[in-house]
This record gives sequence, C-alpha cells and structure tokens, in this order.
Amino acid sequence: MTDIAVLVTDQLPGDAPGSWSRGRPYFVYALQRLGQAVVVILLAYVLSFVLITVLPGNAIATTLGNPQSGLSPAQVKNVESYYGVTKPVIVQLWLALSRFVRGQLGVSLVTHQTVSSLIGGALPYTLKLAGTALLVALILAAVIAYGSQYLPGKWARSVLRSAPSLFLSVPNFVIGLLLIHEFSFQLHLFDVLDPNSPVGTFFAALALAIPICAPLAEVLIANLDRESGQEYVLVARSRGLTQAKLFARHLVKPSMLPAVTIAALIVGELIGGAVITEEVFGRNGIGSVMYQAVSNQDTPVLQAIVALAAVVFVVVNLIADLVSPLLDPRVRLTAGGRREVATA
Amino acid sequence: MSIAIAPQPARRLSATVRGVFTGVPPTVLLSFVIVAIVVLWALFPGLFTSYSAVLGNPAAKFEAPSALHWFGTDDLGRDEFARVVYGAGASVGTALVAVGIGLFAGGLIGLLAGFLGGWVDAVLGRLVDTLLAIPGFLLAVVVVTGLGFNTLNAAIATGVSSVAIFARLMRAEVLKVRHSVFVESSYLQGGSRGFVLFRHVLPNAYRSVLALAVLQLGSAIIVIAALAFLGYGSPPPASDWGLLIANGQNFATAPWLVYGPAIVIVLTVLSINRISRWLRKTS
Repeated sequence: MTDIAVLVTDQLPGDAPGSWSRGRPYFVYALQRLGQAVVVILLAYVLSFVLITVLPGNAIATTLGNPQSGLSPAQVKNVESYYGVTKPVIVQLWLALSRFVRGQLGVSLVTHQTVSSLIGGALPYTLKLAGTALLVALILAAVIAYGSQYLPGKWARSVLRSAPSLFLSVPNFVIGLLLIHEFSFQLHLFDVLDPNSPVGTFFAALALAIPICAPLAEVLIANLDRESGQEYVLVARSRGLTQAKLFARHLVKPSMLPAVTIAALIVGELIGGAVITEEVFGRNGIGSVMYQAVSNQDTPVLQAIVALAAVVFVVVNLIADLVSPLLDPRVRLTAGGRREVATA
Repeated sequence: MSIAIAPQPARRLSATVRGVFTGVPPTVLLSFVIVAIVVLWALFPGLFTSYSAVLGNPAAKFEAPSALHWFGTDDLGRDEFARVVYGAGASVGTALVAVGIGLFAGGLIGLLAGFLGGWVDAVLGRLVDTLLAIPGFLLAVVVVTGLGFNTLNAAIATGVSSVAIFARLMRAEVLKVRHSVFVESSYLQGGSRGFVLFRHVLPNAYRSVLALAVLQLGSAIIVIAALAFLGYGSPPPASDWGLLIANGQNFATAPWLVYGPAIVIVLTVLSINRISRWLRKTS
C-alpha cells in the first residue's frame, strides 16, 4: 500500500485529468459518489463471499462436519438451512446478501454468539487503539515534516527525510516486538499481561502508528517542499514572519489537502495493522476476533469483519472526496464524478 | 605501433565501467549488493552456510551470536543464520510470485480498461474500486484462508491484494499515452490498435510500472512475512522469515532470534525501496 503515498505526491488533485464542471451542482456530485459508495460496499461483500465460500475448502461445511463442533444434528440442520449450505452457491450468495442488506450478520459457527454482538464487544478496544495510533501518527508525521524543513544542520534534515522510507521497511510486528522487549521486559514501563492498560495501549498504538505516519510524512514533506517554493511564502517572509508563524499560518493549510486524500489509505493500513498489533500485544479487539475466526474457519465472522472494514474504508473515502472540493475549489470534479487521485 | 594502440581498449573498458557506475548513488549500489546477496541465498543456500536449517545440535541451545553462529542458535540448537539463509527462497522468491501475479493481472485489467474505455472501463473500474475497498492485508488474509495455509498460497494472496494498485497505475499510464498527439498521428497514418499498443503504449508505461513493481516487491516481502508470522504460511520446520520471528518471540531471553531475521527483512526491504526510488527518479 505504501506506493499510493508516493503516487499521490506526484499527481496532486489539481493535476487530475478531467474537465471543469463549474456548472455541475455540488449535490449531484455528492449523490453520485454516495451511490458509488453503496455499490462498492455491496460488491465488496460479494467478493469476500466468493473468496471464502467458493475457493477450495468450504468452511461452513467443514466446520459443521467436524464432530468436535459441539453441535447436535438438529442444530447442524438449523445452521445449514440458515446459510443454505445445501443450495447452489448463487442462492447462498443471494441469501447472504439479502441478510447483509437487512443488517443481519449471522451467527458465529464456533462461539454461537451473534456476529454483531461479537464485533460490538470487540470494537471499542480497536477504536481506542486505532484512535490513539492515528493521533500518534499525525503528531509524528507533523514533527518529521516540520523538522525536515527547519531543523538546523543539513545532516539532521536529511536523516529526518529518510525516516519515512525506513519506517516503511520495518514490519509492524517487528516494531511491536521491539517495543515490548525494550519497554516492558527491560524498562518495565508496562506489563505485557495487561496490554489494555493505558501505557500498554500507548505502546501498541505506537507500533501501529510508525508505519502509518510514513506515507503521511512523505506527502507532507513533498507538499511543504512545493509550497515553500511558492511566491506567497517569499512575500510573507519579506513581511517579517518567523519560520514557525509562516509554517502555522501559511504552509499547514495547503499541505493538508493531500493528507486528506490519503486518509482512506491510512484507515486501510490501520485496520490491517490492528490485526497484527493486537496479536503481538495480546490485546482484545476486532483484530483478535478476526485472528480467531481465521484459525477456526468461522466464515460468518470473517465475512462480517471484511464487510465492516470495507464500510469504514468506503465511508472515510467518501467523506474525503466530499470534503476536498470544499477545502480547495481548485480540485476539479471529473466528468464521471470520480477523482482519479483520491480513490485510493 | 602496438604500444600506442594497446592502452586504447583498456581506457575504453574503464570508461564503460565508470559510465555504468557514475550517476548511480553509492547507497543504490549498496542496495543492489544487498539484494544480490539475498537472491543468491534464495538460489544457492548451501554456499553460504555449512549448517543445516533443519537439524540442530541439542547441546548448543540458545547460544548468543558469535563467530561460530552469526545469529546465535534457537531452542533446538539450530543455527539461526542458516535458517534465515534457507528461508530466503520462501520469503523473497514468493514475493516475486506475488508481484508477478499483481503485475500480470493488474496490468491486464488496467490495459483493457484504459485502452478499450467505454463499458469495459466502467465494469473494470468498479472491480478495482471493490478490490481497493477491502484493506490490502485483510484481503490477503481472506484469500489465504480460502486457499489454505501455506507459503505459496500466502504469496498468491499477497499478489491478489496488489492487483488493484497495478491496475490503477497501468490505466492511468495508458490514458496518458492514448490521448497524446503522437498516438493520434500513429492512428492517422494507419496504425492498428495492436501496433499502437506495442509500439507506443507499453514502451511508455513500462518504466513507471517497473518502479511500482520493485516497490511492491518490498511491501510483498513484508506482507508475506506478516502472514507467516500469524501462522498462515507453511508450518515449521519451514523457516520463512516471519515464522522465524514468530518462533523467536516466545523466548524473551534470546532476543537475537527476533533481531537476526528482523534485521535481514528490514535491510532487504530498505534496499528494494531505495532501488525503486532511484528508478522513479531516473525515469
């Protein structure tokens, strides 16, 4: 996923191919994007269904056939008829999709809880982790970007400039293990047996934030480079603005927009990274529920989590797409209602 | 006469050598060296270590890194460096498979969408949107769950999760070329679609697609390592780098079991990313 950040820095929204559409009302564009978002979410559900159900090793049948599943023959029949296992795949898909549209996510094949209660129980932990990680990533990215421009000493600046590409080269489970080893085993700052404590959460979030701040910092640095070459910066400086004021007043805002366009990318990384980070730190959350679901071939849970991730991803992307024309009127709305750059 | 002529080829040779190396920054050269070593590990592991990757010496458990055991030994007395070297094929070779899948499938989708346009573009565009909507790592996990856990399936899953990225780039590149004046004039001079495709579109697109492929190689190594770390690759005694780290994390008193393979992953991916960056700059 890292490449998208690099690509975004190259082709900024203003360069997107497409026609001016000043005349086209904003709400038509918004409606179109909304419609597309709904279609994509439904297609994502179909895709995950196809991948899990049609590929070799039908999970529901295997789990139900397992004598250790702890289900009585009557219960097996019940589950079978609920998922329509004995019916053709296309009917199963139709059943699954119509349940999904009505918001029914099914029942776990292993714990026999409803999937929505499983996910609902785990969601707060993941939101806490992801929220903290996002905050840490934003701060880290801002510090790296600011330092790469204004730190005294060319050497220090170039070290900061290469930080993002280093961060992208370290798998986040390695960062997690490193943090656990140094800060828990050596310095005893937190207890690995209680990973949901505030300090434990902070370090888990840090492990998740480091790879995520990298594309953000890259985009910010590229934009700061571009914006600080602009004439208005020279004018502002000649008016006697200090570096810090210049940065805060004039440079941050124009550099924000591309950051918004990679918001969706970052959300994807957060969700994917949470699976690994929660496993490394032994935290509760969506990631560990998913890990369990994969080990147990618990298809309904797995599918619901993929659908949830797609919904979050598409909604964030939609918001980014709807907000950015408002942030920067230079962003062109292309004829098809798609922005070429920010669909990442 | 012969004395006067003799130095000439030598000078020419040194000039060619200098020609190859000037303009290549030293860090890029170093990156190429590191990648070459890892590739050689994958192809001829036996040349780089005299230890077995599978059989250990129970008397030499948990030995710290030394001249004898560069990365120390693990819980069964196996040489960790040997395990890393023998794991290179499963960790880096499979990343090539993954990128190959992404490059071929994604490239084809992008090419068709950009070149044919119309409803083909619309349909393929929705497919790509859908693939992008599922976070890459989750998509890889779902695919490997469907296919069954082993390293090759993990590579296929990683490849599938990168199809959309290749498709988008290829489509953008094709569109860029297709609307240019020289393509228009090529059509006017009677060039067929196939001719334009192979003469103009592909040669113009290949450079940036190549840079992306190299970059994807780096992230494929990380994704495959992460899948192996979670246990979705081949089971032990396979020695995929991610699996080595997963095993190493169980022994807090032997941190070298994590650091050895981790440093190798980081150096490899860092080198590949550096090369990709250089390719993008020079293109």
